[in-house]
Amino acid sequence: MEHTVKAYGEELNNLTADVVRLGGLAEAQVTDSVVAFARRDLALAQLVIERDEKLDSLEAEIERKAIRLIALRQPVAQDLRRTVAAMKFAMQLERCGDLAKNISKRCLVLAEAEPLTPLTRSIERMGNLVAGRLKDVLDAYTTSNLDRAVAVWARDDEVDEHYNSLFRELLTYMMADPRTINSCAHLLFIAKNLERIGDHATNLAEIVYFEITGEELISERPKGDALQRVL
Amino acid sequence: MPLLQPQSPIAPNLSRGASARAWALVVALSVGLVVLGLTVAGRLAAEPAAAAILCLGAVSALVWLAGAPALKAALAKEAEAAPPAAGLPAEALMEVAEGLPDPVLVISGHDQGDFAGRRILFANLAARDLFRVPSEAMLLTAVRNPEVLEVVDEALFAGIEGQTAYEAGGVQDRYWNVLAKPMAPGPEGHCRALLVLRDQTDARRNERMRADFLANASHELRTPLASLAGFIDTLRGHAKDDPKARDRFLEIMAAQAWRMARLIEDLMSLSRIELNEHIRPSDTVDLTLAVSDVVDAMGPQAQGAGVAFDISCAPKGSAAVTGDRDQIVQVIQNLIDNAIKYAGRGGRVSIELTGSLTTEDAVALRKPHAARLSLLTPDHADERYAAIRVGDSGPGIKREHLPRLTERFYRVEGQKSGERLGTGLGLAIVKHIMNRHHGGLAVESAAGEGATFVVYFPMTRSIPPELAVSLTGEHSEAGPQIALPTASS
Repeated sequence: MEHTVKAYGEELNNLTADVVRLGGLAEAQVTDSVVAFARRDLALAQLVIERDEKLDSLEAEIERKAIRLIALRQPVAQDLRRTVAAMKFAMQLERCGDLAKNISKRCLVLAEAEPLTPLTRSIERMGNLVAGRLKDVLDAYTTSNLDRAVAVWARDDEVDEHYNSLFRELLTYMMADPRTINSCAHLLFIAKNLERIGDHATNLAEIVYFEITGEELISERPKGDALQRVL
Repeated sequence: MPLLQPQSPIAPNLSRGASARAWALVVALSVGLVVLGLTVAGRLAAEPAAAAILCLGAVSALVWLAGAPALKAALAKEAEAAPPAAGLPAEALMEVAEGLPDPVLVISGHDQGDFAGRRILFANLAARDLFRVPSEAMLLTAVRNPEVLEVVDEALFAGIEGQTAYEAGGVQDRYWNVLAKPMAPGPEGHCRALLVLRDQTDARRNERMRADFLANASHELRTPLASLAGFIDTLRGHAKDDPKARDRFLEIMAAQAWRMARLIEDLMSLSRIELNEHIRPSDTVDLTLAVSDVVDAMGPQAQGAGVAFDISCAPKGSAAVTGDRDQIVQVIQNLIDNAIKYAGRGGRVSIELTGSLTTEDAVALRKPHAARLSLLTPDHADERYAAIRVGDSGPGIKREHLPRLTERFYRVEGQKSGERLGTGLGLAIVKHIMNRHHGGLAVESAAGEGATFVVYFPMTRSIPPELAVSLTGEHSEAGPQIALPTASS
């Protein structure tokens, strides 16, 4: 009997380990896609596109394992939260991977046009900001650090502000010189994708919070000025 | 509850009982490292006893001879101080491994499919510092980078030595070269591998700096150069005999040349700061003195621009921080310089220094309707901070510009601004200096009410917190939620 119970604990640990591995992969995808974009590194962009499959299959495996665990072990309380959180986490991470892949695809297209240096730099900065948030929330998950998770959650604003500012600048650019519309449209989508990854990081922070406390983070995130008082 | 705690009470504790084994292993590892040290330290083959072990170390030495001068020096020191490796007691060897400047880890694993089973058997001080995990934690708590995991797996299960680049991420980017070497299996047949990280940050920074410098410099110098060339053409042509036009053109040309010189100076300064960004300064600087020095030095400039200062400073000694004095002065100077520019003639610039604040207090909003954004937040916010606020009475900065203020060459008025002669690098420099000091930077701005920049430095710990709090009593009473009027108004 002891053996089965031991196996249960091992299964749970393994599930978490898989999620962390997926997190590492997603993190690398996002970072690499930003680097590929900033440096116009087509080989790296291609690599990111190819690696996406790994994330998909790992996500499917996590889901399978979690369902199996729920079905066979019927976890309750904290164990159940861990299992459900693993599933949700994996889903969000896989989406981040997809968005990174999309950025890399756009890099391939953008490489054919003239570089738009200042804009590229701005987007690279935004990418680094987003990658940092993803890293923070994954650190919070691996170390069960509630404060770090809440900090990521509360700072969602920074990425949004960055996106809004870029959006305006890109519009101005396109109006000033219609020849850049093609490239700028891709840049706009890249910025949007990064903003979406930032949103996923926020969702991940909510999942970490739920996993640790069993409660939901208040659904209304402080926006704008009010936000800064929480920080 | 992920990896750190022994999750369910029923979960197997893989690390229990491993400590005895870890000990033996560490001894083995340390012997190896000392031997390696001996080899590196100038091949002290004089010791006949050591000569035999030297052969064992030869392979590792080959890998190491190429680089890591810091490690070499440290190992050389150890080797000089210590008797031959064989005679060292286990505790001393442990100390050797512990004291190595490079992060060193020993990983164990028993089943290739069991990722949760990969454990850190040993991590020396540098490794614990880098990964912030206790020894015997799950490997995945420390590292989740797929490439690093791959080389670890190869070393563990295939016995293949390998290395890869690893970027630690975080506010202060650091780059590492990870070397994974297989080790002899442990008592229970667990596979083991040695992981050594070597800091590559300097090399990477150098490389990036050169690329960035070229890209930035060429782009930004083109405009003033083009204008210089244009004026030279005009002076040679139809303006040749027009003394009035000639004087005016020469004046513009001088301004452009001066601007280029300043741009180059700022670029160089930024590059220098970036190179050392990961090395924390160690001097103690009294911010009160630094602020008053800068204010004195900038008095004439403010007078010339018709701007008055409002100064409120914490008493001497109450705002001591660990920092690089020149760089701190540069931060204050850049902020005041900006404030003078934006305050405009007849405007006011307020400078305020407060000690012993939490991060929340340091960046607390002062004007109720202002927008605020944190441009740099320190990684660990558990310290006390000394904050400098520099505000101006100018038109304020629009909200959409706030997140991008520290971007290189980002100018609020757009690229065509000729009116305010800035290089567009001032705040980027401030941000990088603050990052080096593990401090923070925030901006607060309300339309028509001016903008305020806040920089905060972690304080030197020598001041007892009780004393420090009493010094700033008036601020903590007001609390962070209440919008305080600035000292001047």
